[in-house]
Amino acid sequence: MQDMNLYTIRAVPFADVRSIRRHTPAFGWQYIIVVLSSGLAFPPLYFYNGGVREFVATVKQHVVLLRSAEHANVFLVNDFQNPLQRTLSSLELPRAVSLSIVPSTPVSGGESASQENGERTDVDVLDGSPSIRQFYRRERQKVHDPARDISMQLLEKFSLVTKFAREATSQLFWETPSNAFSLFERGSSNLSAIDSSQKPRDDVLELPVPVPPDPLELDKLSLAWGKPRQPPLGLEEWATFLDSEGRVVDSKALRKRIFYGGVEHKLRKEVWEILLGYQSYESTYAEKEYQRSNRKTEYEIIKNQWQSISPEQEKRFTKFRERKGLIEKDVVRTDRSISFYGGDGNANLSFLHNVLLTYSFYNFDLGYCQGMSDLLSPILFVMEDESESFWCFVALMERLGPNFNRDQNGMHSQLFALSKLVELLDAPLHNYFKQKDCLNYFICFRWILLQFKRELEYDQTMRLWEVLWTHHLSEHLHLYVCVALLKRYRGKIIGEQMEFDTLLKFINELSGHIDIDVTLRDAEALCLCAGENGSACIPPGTPPSLPREDGFLFNSELDDTVL
Amino acid sequence: MAHRVDHEYDYLFKIVLIGDSGVGKTNILSRFTRNEFCLESKSTIGVEFATRTLQVEGKTVKAQIWDTAGQERYRAITSAYYRGAVGALMVYDITKRQTFDNVQRWLRELRDHADSNIVIMMAGNKSDLNHLRAVTEEDGQALAEREGLSFLETSALEATNIEKAFQTILTEIYHIISKKALAAQEAAASTAIPGQGTTINVTDTSGNTKRGCCST
Repeated sequence: MQDMNLYTIRAVPFADVRSIRRHTPAFGWQYIIVVLSSGLAFPPLYFYNGGVREFVATVKQHVVLLRSAEHANVFLVNDFQNPLQRTLSSLELPRAVSLSIVPSTPVSGGESASQENGERTDVDVLDGSPSIRQFYRRERQKVHDPARDISMQLLEKFSLVTKFAREATSQLFWETPSNAFSLFERGSSNLSAIDSSQKPRDDVLELPVPVPPDPLELDKLSLAWGKPRQPPLGLEEWATFLDSEGRVVDSKALRKRIFYGGVEHKLRKEVWEILLGYQSYESTYAEKEYQRSNRKTEYEIIKNQWQSISPEQEKRFTKFRERKGLIEKDVVRTDRSISFYGGDGNANLSFLHNVLLTYSFYNFDLGYCQGMSDLLSPILFVMEDESESFWCFVALMERLGPNFNRDQNGMHSQLFALSKLVELLDAPLHNYFKQKDCLNYFICFRWILLQFKRELEYDQTMRLWEVLWTHHLSEHLHLYVCVALLKRYRGKIIGEQMEFDTLLKFINELSGHIDIDVTLRDAEALCLCAGENGSACIPPGTPPSLPREDGFLFNSELDDTVL
Repeated sequence: MAHRVDHEYDYLFKIVLIGDSGVGKTNILSRFTRNEFCLESKSTIGVEFATRTLQVEGKTVKAQIWDTAGQERYRAITSAYYRGAVGALMVYDITKRQTFDNVQRWLRELRDHADSNIVIMMAGNKSDLNHLRAVTEEDGQALAEREGLSFLETSALEATNIEKAFQTILTEIYHIISKKALAAQEAAASTAIPGQGTTINVTDTSGNTKRGCCST
């Protein structure tokens, strides 16, 4: 009987699934093997026309899929062995929690068909798969037809605009709502719950403080608005964006493509030069080569400005000594754990040093600031050439230079915009920060200053940066990334009643624990959902917007105040 | 989570690390709180802190040590950094004269931003690099005396005097606070100002209380 069952395609709740093993041989049929928590493994499920990758991507939208450390082709489903994941599961992440808490109800055969069919790549995210059904289970008792799904999306957008708070999934666990409308009313005034529970934090072991509902539940929002991430742009596809002489034909389409998947590493050099603006989209291969050679000469000239300073002159040149000293100190502690910069006498360290010192002459007013070596490091890693790195860094600093201004105005304007965005996208969280005197958002200082360089693994940093540089959707996607992360952890932050110091520590310690694909999707959803209201939160000229000569100004009043 | 395990303490003291970039603030912090040292540790961006709980004259003291970038450029965000700090370890590098010369600037910075009763200790770090020494111990001692600071030469690499430096600061803070508490007790019986009774519970949720202890 059991054996019979094994060979029948039937619905399996994700809660029962331990892992999925993927087999995608170069020749022959692809298949997957589903292993249940009980240890029972299903026989291979063949995908006769490919689609395993899409299948995994689709599953990823609905459950937490972790690649096994032992085997690259094994994906662990909702694996909360890892402490961070466990922590996450204690938050109000609907998909994770619903799977572990809601008793597993096998879904009906009709629904499972879409899951078993490997061909399905573009699943309607709101109405797609068993886990989604489960995730919305309680609501779906009332809500079933597709028209209602669309209205739900609209409602989400509407609730944002009107700042109506929406029911958070956490609510499901605090109280069982009787009707949808009472939730809307309750949401907006739920902050009193925090005020009344000023218990000493030390008593806090679990999450005793009711967390005000998230007006825009991140998971639902991301499913509704964020598109699944794509594989990085590869060589073949890249060629389709170019004409015979190497010009990018449709820069908008290219930027969009990169936004959703990034770029394969071997293409990065070529693509980054364009994204950063060092090379133009319209340049032919020949023009790019010409630019390279011109710029190389120019670089050497600027570099020579400091190289020609004699020891005697240096003695009398305090400013130069100071800068050089700072750069020397930082170069030897920049990404030394990466083999590219590791070991003694590594030539790449001298390249870092040379580019930074040359930049401090090129932009003498700004000079060298700590953090710049972090921004240059991935660029040099990709370019593997001093002059090219220098000019790409110059282009990057055109945008991020204000982060390092002496008066810190670039940082302040971004932190201010961030606070406005949080206010727009999560009023209860904003109020919480206000109550805790954290509205300066210093907790996010490092995130913004270094564009998450210190928070992510090296390759993830490169992925994030190329996505940010596309400026698809917004020049300020990084701020939405901040909001996405804060929202992701809002339950923990508010639930544990974090103060400025604990919050700072918590945020700092997120470093290395951020899943950039999930976060980007959240950020995209938030950005789309915020729409023009979001853009209005960000004052013109806020980095990384270029200084305003080519910015489009639609608000003449603001224009005047600047003049 | 790990950061809320140790909450059994009598006092919480916030101490800031200051000094030029590259003098070894972060390694002093990691040596003291985790007994770790890393030659290639990254430059500090923004603000970080770590804690360690230890005994000071029979009391359990949780030391919260704050670390920030040395570069002057980032001073704009340091208001939050100094808020509530009751101690400061001002660090220079004995192999770099400039970092010693800048001590005066750091003192000014403290006077401008920190509580006026903040306990300051000066540390000449990297004493393991004696062969590269650019500041004599006597110079350090003399400056410390002139400015009324405690002073030690330290080595985070060799773990020399790190423990002692913090013990010294913490003990000094504890003495001041006990005296305040005593004074408050004598003068008190009145309203519920911070520090009534013999024990001042300076918890990490009450920056103001801490300030009260030192400045009132």
